[in-house]
Amino acid sequence: MAVNILEVKDLKIGFEQDKKDIAIVNGVSLQLEKGKTLGIVGESGCGKSMTSLSLMGLLPSGVDWQNGDIYIDQMQINKKSKKEWRNVRGKKIAMIFQEPMSSLNPVYKVGSQIVEMILSHEHISKKEALQRAVDMLQLVGIPRPERVVNEYPHQLSGGMRQRVMIAMALACGPEILIADEPTTALDVTIQAQILELMKDLQEKLQMSIIIITHDLGVVAEICERVVVMYAGEIVEEATVLDLFNHPLHPYTQGLLNSLPDIETEQEYLPSIEGVVPAPADMPAGCRFFDRCEYATGKCKNKPNLFTTNIGSTVRCWLYESGELIGGM
Amino acid sequence: MLSYILRRLSHTVLVIMAVSLIIFFSIRLTGDPVSIMFGAGEPSQQAVEELTAKLGLDKPVWEQYIIFMKDLFMLDFGTSYRSNSPVLDMLIERAWPTIALALGGMTVALLIAVPIGILSAVYKGKSIDIFGRIFSLLGISFPNFWLAFMLILIFAVQLKWLPVSGFDGLSSLILPSIALGLILSGILVRLIRSSMLEVLKMQYVTTARSKGIREWLVIVRHAFRNALLPTVTFVGLQFGGLLGGAVIVEQVFSWPGIGRLIVDSINQRDYPVVQGGIILLALLMIMVNLMVDLCYSLINPKIRTGRGDN
Repeated sequence: MAVNILEVKDLKIGFEQDKKDIAIVNGVSLQLEKGKTLGIVGESGCGKSMTSLSLMGLLPSGVDWQNGDIYIDQMQINKKSKKEWRNVRGKKIAMIFQEPMSSLNPVYKVGSQIVEMILSHEHISKKEALQRAVDMLQLVGIPRPERVVNEYPHQLSGGMRQRVMIAMALACGPEILIADEPTTALDVTIQAQILELMKDLQEKLQMSIIIITHDLGVVAEICERVVVMYAGEIVEEATVLDLFNHPLHPYTQGLLNSLPDIETEQEYLPSIEGVVPAPADMPAGCRFFDRCEYATGKCKNKPNLFTTNIGSTVRCWLYESGELIGGM
Repeated sequence: MLSYILRRLSHTVLVIMAVSLIIFFSIRLTGDPVSIMFGAGEPSQQAVEELTAKLGLDKPVWEQYIIFMKDLFMLDFGTSYRSNSPVLDMLIERAWPTIALALGGMTVALLIAVPIGILSAVYKGKSIDIFGRIFSLLGISFPNFWLAFMLILIFAVQLKWLPVSGFDGLSSLILPSIALGLILSGILVRLIRSSMLEVLKMQYVTTARSKGIREWLVIVRHAFRNALLPTVTFVGLQFGGLLGGAVIVEQVFSWPGIGRLIVDSINQRDYPVVQGGIILLALLMIMVNLMVDLCYSLINPKIRTGRGDN
């Protein structure tokens, strides 16, 4: 059996409002196999970024509570002290963000930002750390790295900055890289280059990746397994092939339908009617109830994650028996 | 960078010309110095004319201005009507206490405001933030002369730790600096707090945390350094204000500053001293602004490298 480098069990994240606990992430469980790539897909506000930030121990200040267990390399990280957390962060698990324009500090040179990361985890000299920074920049395909270390972020393009972010994230050789919408803010051609780079580095460095995106194209490009999140819950988990060939959950189907198809002429692009309910007034049953065209009375009860006969899991009463429904 | 400084300094000449023009004519609107110099006495017509001629005030105003500008060009600020001593000497004598007080006040303000401002932002809504809020409210609302009197009463009169007034070494600088600095820190705390809150939301702060560096480094090195930009602008402006505008505190502490000299001279219509004093203040202000701009380029590499964000 494959080794899980990361395991999340029943993660719940939320805030308090009028003395009531309101969950924005509600019972998420994930497994990431060593050397593999897991995609987390969902629309804005579905809790995917919160989930990833909690894996880093970096929940923003508006969040009041977090339950559940997070294991990194068999170590239960969420029970550790702040200091131990900090030593893991950047060393074993690193993260890159959506906005390369604003994710580097504008007042420090690129090199010193990478050096700072290395020196906080390793006892080597500044000179060695700087050499490592140059090597890392070279590794992520930045031309003239020995010059770029002395440049400021604003002197680089968006794609270059994202490469710098990747170089920095990988500088201490982490086993897990979390990429939160790493290509969303980039031009399409640069997007492809960055994804290509990530795949390439994954192979070279044997790391595991969690990629958070709303772009199914990115998922198809880079992931092995995919988790679809809706309103703070996982609604479907499948291999990437199964997800595209047999999307099970009505929400997943809606997502795939709203992708433009290059082969057929379409006058309208289908979309999913309605909006995600606010965290404070989630329906008690299926959270997709109001927007689902297959909704029945049964859906007023909360569905579990059912495992189907092709191996995907899905949170929908339609698959209670575990059988795929014909024509899907 | 050097050419930038030289270009800025060349602007100084124009500013000084404008300032001298305004002050030269506006001080002449306050009235005739000769009548004040004779005080309550009833001088003879002849004595008045003689004095007027001696001061050069009998000439047409435009001619007086040309003479004034000629002298100014030779760094001759003239002689005080009242004390007969050269204005330049008087100003130089007053310049150091003025600068010392402005520096002292600003140091006190920064020492108080930087830590409270940062902590108020980091612990937003917690007790330190509430304390900071009350502190700055008090700082903004207290009149500084009242605070000055209170400080004198407590530390000079009652406890006898520090001198009551005058300019005599470092110990005499403490109370007036605190009086100025406390008031200033009230606004500064709010400014630093709000720019820190702004910066703490930035993505690069999360990036810094994600690197696993210590939290205080995230706050100081990554957040505060960026929050400095608006702070430096404000501090520069306020510093300029302290140079000439600390008159009330100077008065309470009998501080021999330029602000007080100018106010006294205006009351006595001592034209040369007022003109010289205002020009000196303008020069100091220009220097402060230049220093603020230089600090800017030190703090913000975007300005230094001369390239904007693309």
